[in-house]
Amino acid sequence: MSFMKRFLSRLGFMALTVVAMSFLIFLLVEIMPGDVAQTVLGQAATEESVAALRETMKLNDPLMVRYGRWASGYIQGDLGESLYMRGVQINSIFWRRVGHSMLLALSALIFYVPLSIFLGVLAGVRAGKFSDSVISFLGLATMALPEFVSGILLITVFSVNLNLLPLTSVIPIGQTLWQNLEILVLPACSITFVMFGYVSRMQRSSMIGVMNSDYVRAAILKGMPKRYVIFRHALKNALLPTITIIGMNMGWLFGGLIVVETLFGFPGLGSLTMTAIKTRDIPLIEACVLFITIIFVFSTFITDMMYSFLNPKIRFKREDL
Amino acid sequence: MKTENVLEIKELNVHYTTLTTTVVALKDVSLHVGPKEALGIIGESGCGKSTLSYAIMDYLPLNGASTGQILFKGEDLLALSNKEMQKFRGNRIAMVYQNPYSSLNPSLTIGFQLEEVTMFHRGFTREKARETAIETLIDLHLGDAVGIVKRYPHQISGGMQQRICIAMALLCRPDLMILDEPTTALDVTTEAVILDLILELKEKYDMSMIYISHDIGVVNKVSDRIAIMYRGEVVETGDKKAIFDDPQHPYTRALINCIPRSGVVKEHVKLNTIPGYVTRRSAEESGCPFVARCEQKNSTCEEQYGMKEWAENHYTACDRAYATDVPAKKLQVDEGSIPDTGDAEHKNVLELDNVYRYFGHAGKRVRAVDGINLTMERNSVLGVVGESGCGKSTMGHTVTGLYPPTKGRILFDGTDISVSWRKRSPDVLKNLQLIFQNPGRSLNPSFTLEQIIGRPMKKLLGIESKQERRKLIIDILKKVDLGEEYISRKPKQLSGGEMQRAAVARAFSISPNLLVCDEPTSALDASVQASVLNLLVDLQKESGASYMFISHDLNVINYLSDQIMVMYLGRICEYGTKNEVVGSPHHPYTEALLSAVPDVDPTKTRGTIRLKGAPPNPTQKIVGCPFSGRCHRKIGKICDTTPPPKVDISETHYVYCHLPPHEMDIIATKKGM
Ligand code: SF4
Ligand code: SF4
Repeated sequence: MSFMKRFLSRLGFMALTVVAMSFLIFLLVEIMPGDVAQTVLGQAATEESVAALRETMKLNDPLMVRYGRWASGYIQGDLGESLYMRGVQINSIFWRRVGHSMLLALSALIFYVPLSIFLGVLAGVRAGKFSDSVISFLGLATMALPEFVSGILLITVFSVNLNLLPLTSVIPIGQTLWQNLEILVLPACSITFVMFGYVSRMQRSSMIGVMNSDYVRAAILKGMPKRYVIFRHALKNALLPTITIIGMNMGWLFGGLIVVETLFGFPGLGSLTMTAIKTRDIPLIEACVLFITIIFVFSTFITDMMYSFLNPKIRFKREDL
Repeated sequence: MKTENVLEIKELNVHYTTLTTTVVALKDVSLHVGPKEALGIIGESGCGKSTLSYAIMDYLPLNGASTGQILFKGEDLLALSNKEMQKFRGNRIAMVYQNPYSSLNPSLTIGFQLEEVTMFHRGFTREKARETAIETLIDLHLGDAVGIVKRYPHQISGGMQQRICIAMALLCRPDLMILDEPTTALDVTTEAVILDLILELKEKYDMSMIYISHDIGVVNKVSDRIAIMYRGEVVETGDKKAIFDDPQHPYTRALINCIPRSGVVKEHVKLNTIPGYVTRRSAEESGCPFVARCEQKNSTCEEQYGMKEWAENHYTACDRAYATDVPAKKLQVDEGSIPDTGDAEHKNVLELDNVYRYFGHAGKRVRAVDGINLTMERNSVLGVVGESGCGKSTMGHTVTGLYPPTKGRILFDGTDISVSWRKRSPDVLKNLQLIFQNPGRSLNPSFTLEQIIGRPMKKLLGIESKQERRKLIIDILKKVDLGEEYISRKPKQLSGGEMQRAAVARAFSISPNLLVCDEPTSALDASVQASVLNLLVDLQKESGASYMFISHDLNVINYLSDQIMVMYLGRICEYGTKNEVVGSPHHPYTEALLSAVPDVDPTKTRGTIRLKGAPPNPTQKIVGCPFSGRCHRKIGKICDTTPPPKVDISETHYVYCHLPPHEMDIIATKKGM
């Protein structure tokens, strides 16, 4: 079956991308200005101690050897040791942050996907009418706001004025995210702001296209009720482009939320990446960036599979009768 | 005894409002369809045929409004609410559309799309609905009905898709079926099968039918009564025979006469043309819709216009079709001989020596042109005919160098031109021109006609002086019936017919020896097509150029060509002079093709040959005869395993087929057109 073939080839391609990207990340960090040992020891360090550290960190080995060591560590689940926080295993902080980010991403998804699809469909079906104008305006307005502006707006309204939600999303020491779920609300809203306009406009235009298609006309002229035509005939086809859009943004959502996380002080992967970059914590940067890359590639893969599964044109090949 | 009409339309008006204007789409349309009657509606594009069908279904765009009455078995459909209308749609009145592929939902199985109809209208369970669906599919002679319901629309061929759409319309056994150009998107052999099927089912289910088409031949085949529409009005209705034998409205007469059909060939007849083209109608306009293009008009036209009974069952809005008070237009074939061009050394203007053109990679290789040997004589018109996907266009494009042949040699006036046009000499480029089906896309939209026509003149003829060029451009524009004022117009400002004239003008401005015309008139309305065909005939006589005229329309090919070549799946089936191929065909495919062409003459009906299936996948490697999968005269295994040999019928006539000579003679004596 062609679906299986597609699945396998995309899977292979995905693996290849990850390997290539890992090498590229390694290389990029490698050519970043500044010597690692020097950074670790500070500007005042003597040349001998820098050289000695280089030796212990095995920085003098050839590039490929170092890459191999790095990569095999990753495969065994060892992300290495932080440079900035000496002696701290990256594993011990990294996965908790990933968990936080996932939770944030999921809550954002739960917020914005149904909302944007529902309103997008509504606007599409009522194209040109009042409800469409309102939804389209909302979409445009939220899309025009950068996330730090909408974030600040949300904070001002809900935390400062109404005092309903915490000002920042910091988890108090000794507690876990699960005990502080309310800190997810504002960042998730802020993400919804960014995504809503994007996704709902996409959904609207694909819905309009489908509602004007010959097959929807045919369904209506078969005497099918309008509601049934929308849900049974139009929706599935109109969802296809939206799914692609949502899927393509998954990578961003699961790790690229640098602005939002920083703004709210949310302890996720995005703010971790930010810190790593600021402190030039090279092993941490590598871990973060590689992870985000993997999420990107993986979500693209999932999107592609979902798309081909929903689209019978790909799922079933034309057979000649 | 007067039986109640199934449908009665009274004074139906439809108009669309846009921001700036009101456009009248239908004006005072009154029509009726009796029980079991088939009403054919003929009109060119933009004449309101489709609006009429959607108005009956109460499905007009938001900016459309209608007044009048549409009585279906006595009930006024226009007065019904949307909910009430639902009970009629797909149930009592069903519709079939032009494009079957896009009318089927790509993400639902065919079974699902069939079942829902009876589930809604009849309250059937899914099982019962599936049973009914399969029964109906069997009525439509779909072999594997049980298998088909599990498929998705893209998995079956176009002809099959249209049958599914027809089945869908029939599920509730409607009283009235509206068919809106149902075969226009199909190949002629598929069309023939579908038309037969429609007639058969109409009998079987006792339906009334409205059949809408621009194709007079098709309408003639399926209808009892015919209505002619022009710019939103019905101008004439009557029984089929009366309309064809004794048309009264000048438009009807002109339209019928501008269509090439059997027996009409350029040597004897010049096609009738209607000047101008169909324009939109504004709300203020009154009187005769045809007045701008009518050649019989006189001072009484304004007042006297209106539907009148001419004879029993024959109504017309005007009866001046044979009026003698205005001088009759003279359409004469001038018998001048064709001037000889080029050097006499090469008798053949074009030679194709085993030409192949493949697309795609190994494994998915499409063999568009699969070994063509051909010689084209100087000063002749070669008509290349075949169904979509037979490689006729690819061959034409290979000759003009849009892409070089994969294998083989092309000789033009003795020069080897088996390369892409970029590598051809200016002399070859000048002498070998191409006209496309869609002139809108081949003319640069940001240039004026002066620039468009002047460019090749400057580049290929080396005429540097602007004045000189302008003079020549005006000359050539006049020749193609475009006035001097067109010189500064851009393609967007032209109608479809004018654009194609401009394209012809550009090609002829540099006096080529060979013109490849790729379906140049298929996008045009009948009346406009006629004028472009006439133009091409005149220009050929005058310039002595040769044409390779590629078309799917056998009537057009027959009208225009000296030689005809029939292609199937990238190969030649039959080649010969016009009289040989059309008058005594020897190849089974030519026979089927000729039998499939619907005849315009109502007195003639001929048995069509029903071909099985659709052309095979062009990526398949064909070992034997390309036609063997569908051939109705296939003789046996040899057809599948051995490529058919070239059989010479006469010096100028050959076929590729395994049939023994006496069987070919049977084809020839049965005669096509
Ligand atoms: S003769 Fe007059 S009324 Fe009749 S079609 Fe021509 S213009 Fe119209
Ligand atoms: S070779 Fe055989 S299959 Fe082909 S056209 Fe002739 S009879 Fe038919």
